[in-house]
Amino acid sequence: MNILDTLRISASGLTAQRVRLQAISSNMANARSTRSTEEGTPYRRQMPVFQAVEANSFGSELAQQLSRVEVVDVEKSQAPFRQVFDPGHPDADEDGYVLYPNVDILHEMVDLMNTSRTYEANTNVTETTYKMANQALEMGRG
Amino acid sequence: MRDLLFDRLHAGLGQVLDLRSQQSAMTAGNIANTDTPNYKAKFIPFDELLGSAMATDDMEMRRTHETHLSGMSGTVTDPSIEEIEAPPWALDGNSVNLEREMVRLKSNALQYSAVTKGIGKRMAMLRYVVDAKG
Repeated sequence: MNILDTLRISASGLTAQRVRLQAISSNMANARSTRSTEEGTPYRRQMPVFQAVEANSFGSELAQQLSRVEVVDVEKSQAPFRQVFDPGHPDADEDGYVLYPNVDILHEMVDLMNTSRTYEANTNVTETTYKMANQALEMGRG
Repeated sequence: MRDLLFDRLHAGLGQVLDLRSQQSAMTAGNIANTDTPNYKAKFIPFDELLGSAMATDDMEMRRTHETHLSGMSGTVTDPSIEEIEAPPWALDGNSVNLEREMVRLKSNALQYSAVTKGIGKRMAMLRYVVDAKG
């Protein structure tokens, strides 16, 4: 257990939030994509899945309790698509309905704010850790 | 002769630094896992550790007079870790409270800084004695 472990843990938090930000930007950009490449359906909302992983399997019992975070998967939302009546649209079905992605812009905005705050919290941890390490080095100077 | 530099207080202060840096790693883990479902926030209960260290009587300082105060200097060998239960309204079972963790992070850093200052002053005192001329 040392300062580097702490930095590695908060780095894992920063990475996780960055992946989440990527998913949000993809969702926002594709909020009206009625076609996706791999399936014949509209774009599905992407959701990163986080998991707590043991940070250090060696060391003391205390050190083994520490967990970093890992993005294990980016899942696609199975929520129903939004149906809009627009008979002139090239992707409209025979009844004139178009299926739009299951992305809710409001939801994404709230997620975006949350991501930015959590990222900030993790950078704060990094700064505090640096300060502590510096104080430990200054100890001998009296 | 009493060992001035590496006495029990010195060892105790070192141990506090160790625990404090472990607590900071634990807080880092909690903050990193803010959005992980079913993750439980962990912390080292320092107040309880202090209480149990104060409660043991075999840690008393040597007294040369019966009216002297008994200074306690207990040591903590095996600190336990406590997990915070998720509140019933936490739908994802996650018990990390970002505000609480930030306060813990900062107060922990402050305590760490206080101990490093203390060790620094001890070192300065010793240096003062070593450097004394004439």
